[in-house]
Amino acid sequence: MISFHNVTKRFGSNFALSDVSFDCKAGSVHALTGENGAGKSTLMNLLAGVFSADGGEIRLRGAPIAPERPADSQRLGISTIFQELTLLGNLTIAENLFLGREPMRRGMVDRAEMRTCARAALARLGSTLDVDTFCGDLSVADQQLVEIAKGVSTDADIFIFDEPTAALNAPEVEKLGELLASLKAAGKLVFYVSHRLEEIFRFCDQVTVLKDGAHVETRPTAGLDRDQLVSLMVGRVLSQFYPERPSGPPGGPVALEVDRLQIEAGGPQVSFSLRQGEILGLAGLEGQGQRSIIRALGGLQPAVAGAVSKHEGSQARKLDLSVVQTVLAGIGFVPEDRKIEGLYLPLSITENIGIGMLRRSSIWQMARTRRDVIASLMARMEIRSTSARQLVGQLSGGNQQKVMIGRWLASGIDVLLLEEPTRGVDVGAKAEIYALLRDFADNGGAVLMISSELLEVLGLCDRILVVRQNQIVAELEGSAASEDEVMRLALTGRAANLAESHA
Amino acid sequence: MLDLKRRSRRTGLTPIALALPLALFILLCLSSSTFTSLENLANVNSQIAALLIASLGQAIVAISGGIDLSVGAVMGLTSAILVTVDPSLAVPLAYAMGIAVGLVNGLGVTFFNVHPLVMSLASMTFVQGLALLVNPVPGGVVPGYLRTLAVSEPLGLPAALFWSVGVILLAWYLLNRTRFGLRTYAVGANPASAQRNGVSAARHKVACYVLCSLAAVTAGIFLTARVGAGDATMGAAYSLDTVTAMALGGVQLAGGAGSVLGVVAGVLTLGLISNGMNLLGISPFLRAAVTGVLLLAAIGLQRREAIGA
Amino acid sequence: MTDFATSPSTTTGQRLRAAGSAVASLPFAYAATLILLIAAYFMRPALLSPMLLLLIARQAAPLGLAAIGQSLCMRVLSIDLSIGGVIVGVSYILTGGLLPFSDPVLMLIAIAFGVAVGLLNAFFITRLRASSVIVTLAVTLIITGVAVAFSQLRSPGDAPEMLRQVSRLKIGIVPVALLIWLAVLIPIAVFLRMSVFGRYIDAIGANPRAAWVSGIPYVRVVTVVHVMSSLFAVFSGFLLIGFVGVGSMDLGRDLALNSLAAVILGGVTFGSGKGGVLGPTVAALMLTFSFNLLTSLGLGEPAKLMLQGLIIGVAAAAYSIQRKT
Repeated sequence: MISFHNVTKRFGSNFALSDVSFDCKAGSVHALTGENGAGKSTLMNLLAGVFSADGGEIRLRGAPIAPERPADSQRLGISTIFQELTLLGNLTIAENLFLGREPMRRGMVDRAEMRTCARAALARLGSTLDVDTFCGDLSVADQQLVEIAKGVSTDADIFIFDEPTAALNAPEVEKLGELLASLKAAGKLVFYVSHRLEEIFRFCDQVTVLKDGAHVETRPTAGLDRDQLVSLMVGRVLSQFYPERPSGPPGGPVALEVDRLQIEAGGPQVSFSLRQGEILGLAGLEGQGQRSIIRALGGLQPAVAGAVSKHEGSQARKLDLSVVQTVLAGIGFVPEDRKIEGLYLPLSITENIGIGMLRRSSIWQMARTRRDVIASLMARMEIRSTSARQLVGQLSGGNQQKVMIGRWLASGIDVLLLEEPTRGVDVGAKAEIYALLRDFADNGGAVLMISSELLEVLGLCDRILVVRQNQIVAELEGSAASEDEVMRLALTGRAANLAESHA
Repeated sequence: MLDLKRRSRRTGLTPIALALPLALFILLCLSSSTFTSLENLANVNSQIAALLIASLGQAIVAISGGIDLSVGAVMGLTSAILVTVDPSLAVPLAYAMGIAVGLVNGLGVTFFNVHPLVMSLASMTFVQGLALLVNPVPGGVVPGYLRTLAVSEPLGLPAALFWSVGVILLAWYLLNRTRFGLRTYAVGANPASAQRNGVSAARHKVACYVLCSLAAVTAGIFLTARVGAGDATMGAAYSLDTVTAMALGGVQLAGGAGSVLGVVAGVLTLGLISNGMNLLGISPFLRAAVTGVLLLAAIGLQRREAIGA
Repeated sequence: MTDFATSPSTTTGQRLRAAGSAVASLPFAYAATLILLIAAYFMRPALLSPMLLLLIARQAAPLGLAAIGQSLCMRVLSIDLSIGGVIVGVSYILTGGLLPFSDPVLMLIAIAFGVAVGLLNAFFITRLRASSVIVTLAVTLIITGVAVAFSQLRSPGDAPEMLRQVSRLKIGIVPVALLIWLAVLIPIAVFLRMSVFGRYIDAIGANPRAAWVSGIPYVRVVTVVHVMSSLFAVFSGFLLIGFVGVGSMDLGRDLALNSLAAVILGGVTFGSGKGGVLGPTVAALMLTFSFNLLTSLGLGEPAKLMLQGLIIGVAAAAYSIQRKT
């Protein structure tokens, strides 16, 4: 139905895509995967009309197409469900579903028609949300669901799902699978852009792997296994993805003591301690409160009650949970969204890292930037750049992530809080970041992290706390925990045996 | 009440915004005997009609996520044009000027990516200079037909009432019943998201700035006709007064929330305060100070994410 | 820094290109000054005599001082339009005759007044997160409204003798006012370049959200910036009142906008995390020179306003295009 012929796209002098050619059949779910920066989003953006190609052509049923804006591509029958949530909080579900193609009657927006169609679209996903609810009042998972309903409610032949399951829980992913199957049965072509190998194997018929903007392989998923797919993506076999854990049980002195921390009035309290030399992970389904806990500890979100104390030697100091105070106490927070919350994109690497060294200075003091320290740090972290003066906005995601972590390493903190430490980072850089975190812990630092990638928590952490409904339901040894065990705890709160949960 | 709270995501309305003009009305009824006279109420109406027209325009820009400080200067230039240009050409020329200023503001903000405050400060300064160039000294003769439109009393009701009701209905229809209105809220809440849904955020914003300038021209025509003379600096206070009025009425300067009802409430609040100070014999110079205090109070109560301009 | 510039991978071509883009990214004020000087050379060569140039520089001093404060505000993504209001307030304090104190005491009160206005602005902007333009305009409305209402009661008196002296005195041929400007400018420039405060300003300008998340004392920095801006406005007011000799409620009315124009022309733009003190200074000189040129060409207030509007609009637009490419 769609075929790509030598499609090329340049950004400046960089080839984001070069000579990509492959075909896709109607009535199939076609996975598109590869490392970050491999070009899969660029390719889909060409189809969605966000960018236009510099060379080659895209053919729809044999005829060349060149959508120049999203509206063009919608007219061609291509519907895109973008990765970021594009719903508007001040519009109702119905209004959001029909924004840009509002049904009209006598020169006015036909609200009754809009509501009816919106209800029908939600019903296909098994949702019974009130279509007059403002989207700003919905949970993230519900928003993602509305987003999918919106994409699917258009009368299109080709659907692009860009990482659709980022915010979804297991039952909703299940529903999505059913939806994909029904689209396939109706003879539509579905592009499924994803990093999640498990979903690629479950939902997709074909998989196309891109690497560095070039086409590597298009194959039926049936003949592939996980390891083969990963090695197609990275082009090398990763022998040691996660760094080795220190032998023996983590027994360092306590670094951070969290005592009956309560995020919401009337909500549950959490208590735990973080030890020097360990990497502690908060695992759980999306939106179960891990994020609030780590943000409260970082001073970014207020907590209603509870005490947090930082231990240094034999001294324990109760912390005032505001960002300025926690940073002063030696706790660094690495946010999930590096572009919005983490980095100073228009400033250089030196400036981005150097600002961390001013942590304890008064604003009236003279600032010293230790260029030698920054240079050795950059070398140790393998930050790839033209020079230390390169602007951080020009770096790749993985290198940006390293700069953000490097800022705290340079500042001499001893507790690191990380939110999604490797989101949007390519596989190679992931391993390097894991090694850095392990190194930080081995040198006496304490790491607390949350991650929606369960395998990351399992592979990296020394201890895992499973969070469910804002409560810690279990504590597991990292090296002994299994994916199955953690999932079951996260879903049910109990370590029930398999037979029972299936009954 | 619950619905007011739920809908405030869209309207920005708070009980205080609505209660304030009512409370002032009652207070003035009690403290001044002349306040409730038909003559005074008609006077209040004609005093605030221009502010109402300009504020509704300002509100549309604000809902779309911008701000337009050139409103007052556009009113001044309109006034200057009306008394210097041939009467048959004056009104079309004034509207053409409004479209031009709106386009410049809109294009500056969208395609050149200039902060709306900086952009409209620039156009305000330029347009004010132009107005003074066209009509350096207040005075001149206003075309007769305009005078009739502004001061006659059809059906025994002041013309200002018809102007007010007319623009209120027009603005309400535009914001609540048309595609344009829905998309204005969408663009104001998040232009990038609106864009991805096939709404051209840039074009839409430009349209909002043009509408705002057109509203300012209309306000300028009404005010000039009512006063009966041209004055290039006539609108000087209006740029901030419109912002004050709509902020008092719950229109969020961050964009995406606001309502016609709120703007009406905000304009009434300002008008009643002004009239009340007048009736109670308080120095007119303090009026500006009171506006300032109200403006601080109104925006101090709006919660924003960002710190800065 | 040099260790990177001389690394073997940079070729001469790259270095030339870097130098080219460095010139292209210079504040517009430099090019504009050059163009103006050439224009003046052909149209009004008399303006280029050293005597007149020094007088123009003296005249630019109040604007230059105000522009330093304004540039700090804009670098932390804020704007201070209360400069005019502060100057009217200072004028009223010094010449209104309401307070029965000696001149030095009155000047101290004026300084305290400046600090108070800065703190008030900062409170609304940082704690209540109100738009800085609206807050500072509202503060201007309040101050001028009150000052003008009170000044109806009694006409303003003379400026303090000390300030009139400062405006008149020269050392050699150099006006003292100009020296005062430089004496403020240079330490501030050095301080901003070297201090933690300066680094934080750059960081907040580049990404305010990230600055907050990484524990930079955001509120304190923005508060200090606004207090500084109001203080610069007070000093600017001192010079202006000295020039005029008597109190006036019209004093410094256009200074807020002019300082904004100077800062934008001087290369400080929203959201880039960049900006210096030299650019706005040159721009202040350039603007003052251009107003003199316009006056000498027989163009009055309207032309001045139009020029100002054009400068702010075109410069702001040009910078954002430059940043995109």
